[in-house]
Amino acid sequence: MAKGVLVDLTKCVGCGGCTVACKLWNDMKFDDNNPTVGDKAKLSGKNWTVVHAHQVKNKDGETVWRFNKQQCLHCLEPACASACFAKALQKTKDGPVIYYPHLCVGCRYCMIACPFNIPKYEWDKTFPLVSKCQMCSTKIARGEAPACVSVCPQGVFKFGERDELLKEAKAIIAKDDKYIKEIYGEKEVGGTSWMYISDIPFKDLGFKTGLGTTPLPTYSHNFLRYTPFVAVGWGIILTGLYHYTKRRNTISKETNIKG
Amino acid sequence: MENRSTKPTSVSRRGFLKMLGGVGLAGIAANIAGCSTDPAGGKGWMPQQYQVASSWPIQVKGRVPIDPNNPSIVRDDKKCILCGQCIEACEKVQTVMGYYELPIKDDITCVNCGQCTLWCPTGAITERDDIDKVLKAINDKNLHVVVQTAPATRVALGEEFGMPAGSIVEGKQVAALKKLGFDAVFDTNFTADLTIMEEGTELVKRITGELKKPLPQFTSCSPGWVKFCEYFYPDLLEHMSSAKSPQQMMGAVVKSYYAKQKGIDPEKIFSVSIMPCTAKKYECQRPEMNDAGQKAGKPNIRDVDVVLTTRELARMIKRAGINFNELEDAQYDSMLGEGTGAAVIFGTTGGVMEAAVRSAYFLITKQNPPEALLELTPVRGLNGVKEASLEIPGAGKINVAVCSGLGNARKILDQVREDIKQGLPPRYHFIEFMSCPGGCIGGGGQPRTALPPSDAVRQARLASLYTMDAKIYKKRLSHENQEVIQIYQNYFEHPMSELAEELLHTEYTDRGKHLTAKKKA
Repeated sequence: MAKGVLVDLTKCVGCGGCTVACKLWNDMKFDDNNPTVGDKAKLSGKNWTVVHAHQVKNKDGETVWRFNKQQCLHCLEPACASACFAKALQKTKDGPVIYYPHLCVGCRYCMIACPFNIPKYEWDKTFPLVSKCQMCSTKIARGEAPACVSVCPQGVFKFGERDELLKEAKAIIAKDDKYIKEIYGEKEVGGTSWMYISDIPFKDLGFKTGLGTTPLPTYSHNFLRYTPFVAVGWGIILTGLYHYTKRRNTISKETNIKG
Repeated sequence: MENRSTKPTSVSRRGFLKMLGGVGLAGIAANIAGCSTDPAGGKGWMPQQYQVASSWPIQVKGRVPIDPNNPSIVRDDKKCILCGQCIEACEKVQTVMGYYELPIKDDITCVNCGQCTLWCPTGAITERDDIDKVLKAINDKNLHVVVQTAPATRVALGEEFGMPAGSIVEGKQVAALKKLGFDAVFDTNFTADLTIMEEGTELVKRITGELKKPLPQFTSCSPGWVKFCEYFYPDLLEHMSSAKSPQQMMGAVVKSYYAKQKGIDPEKIFSVSIMPCTAKKYECQRPEMNDAGQKAGKPNIRDVDVVLTTRELARMIKRAGINFNELEDAQYDSMLGEGTGAAVIFGTTGGVMEAAVRSAYFLITKQNPPEALLELTPVRGLNGVKEASLEIPGAGKINVAVCSGLGNARKILDQVREDIKQGLPPRYHFIEFMSCPGGCIGGGGQPRTALPPSDAVRQARLASLYTMDAKIYKKRLSHENQEVIQIYQNYFEHPMSELAEELLHTEYTDRGKHLTAKKKA
């Protein structure tokens, strides 16, 4: 069954331990240009996860501080994987959407396809690759939670079966008035493995909203399924044209010699 | 002239490829040979041992939040190993993290005590480094740079230079500061004595009913404790003595009394303090700590400009290449440099209490306390909560309590709160609170001699302070400090005078609205 993570944003105090855990487990370098915590936190080729600080108004109109942990949401039907003709991005049965650098041709279609603007390109490298959170797939394969999840001192995250987490999230927001009645990631572009609950509307916390509930590959699959026919058909046409022009040249040469 | 219309010599395809190949090979060779533009040497501290593939270590526990704008402490993510030692200090010892309801409001709750800096095994959490500001001021010929040193730094600084824990380096510290180029070196002991005069008078006035403020009176010298009370017990703030901490009194006195006596423009004075404490960095930035400036009509002037911790001073001395261990002892400068034994024990838990009792006895009876009262043993030592009871003729039985470490403070504070709720008479007259376990000797800015901080080191430092009180200092009573007597004669007239209230007393802020304290901590 597919695993998932439920994030309760009301419990986050912004310590950023999760961002350090990501660096330690994945041997990621620190990005001197982009901090991982604070209001200037930014995902980059070196930052797979960041904790973005927001100053927002709560229901009572008071200014409060909230933190939004950003990383790949690991869509149930990932647009990045569907856009990748090299199969460098693949969704596993456990839930993570994994990137295989040896298959990547560097076209960066995945970056354009991702509705959440997650994959980043290693612009600073001589031989750049695409870079994004792997949901610690090797840890998950062993039945462990992702590194960021296992280090949180406040219990912001819950790792488990996605279906059960969804049920739990629904129960939490139904019971407690402070939460807004929405689970981000439940239905967005067909659902994601990471789901969020919050007491502040998601759009105020920098989440992309209004993405619709249709999985993005549905749109692309409508025409992408013709890709093999287009590829083979185009080959046949070009071969035909080659032979046609070749024959015309031969005939014209013969005519010239005769003439 | 060269004929520019001549056709350039053509390059053959073979020649072009050979050239490119050559350049490429030269580039690769340069790279392999290490011909980069970076200078030789390391690029900083790297936790290499943690950067190897292995399973997730079980001891990884997370960390405390630190506001990037925290005036006292900073954290370097590159050194953090998520060991959770900061949580141990913050949650278990100081009872700050985890003692407020989530979601948070608009503040990352921190009392700036810096205990996390002492527990952090990799040195990821440190004090905010303000050395450059001080060096800049020293190098500015237009500024008169004064410095004050807290009681507790003189029994800890030596540890940074390989001396045993608790070594007394008062004279060497003064000599080092003079070598570093400070224009005047003053002793916070002087204002500790001044604090006793103000705080002791306030206590006597509360006991006699002259001052309409409730008992028990709380001490207000530890800025971490003050902020803790403002966060978690704002309903008890009227118990807090209005006397400023010795550091802030010195700041205000330097830029008013000293400036006047010396004929220096307060704007041209740069005031530095050497403290065992990281919360002092926050305290000097509190908006209301500009009393000398207010008095001079220039509210931009801060009473204390920069606070350095004991560790920062050690770094400064090492950076300047001063051989600390070989320094000849030097004397504090006059006017604000005299201190008594009562002042020096401010640096340890129970010290403020003992010093206050000595002078309160004098203020009530007009006589010096008997010898027995000079060794108030029940309030000495490293126990978290201590109690004592003593007879003062004319005032009767005085009950006092002493706590150090904020977790211990909660025990007493909850009791005070409960007594008030039930309408019971106060069981104490005076309570001393210190934010750090052991008091300032175990302060968040002290040398990291043992990791995590150990009682053996605290005990050694504490013992040295009591030795200084009993054997080294000539006077043991704050009201006998000649320079304190002079400042009252020349300037303040008497304790809690109008001018003293203006410069030496302060008010507190209710910070309860920035968090929702847990009902049952």
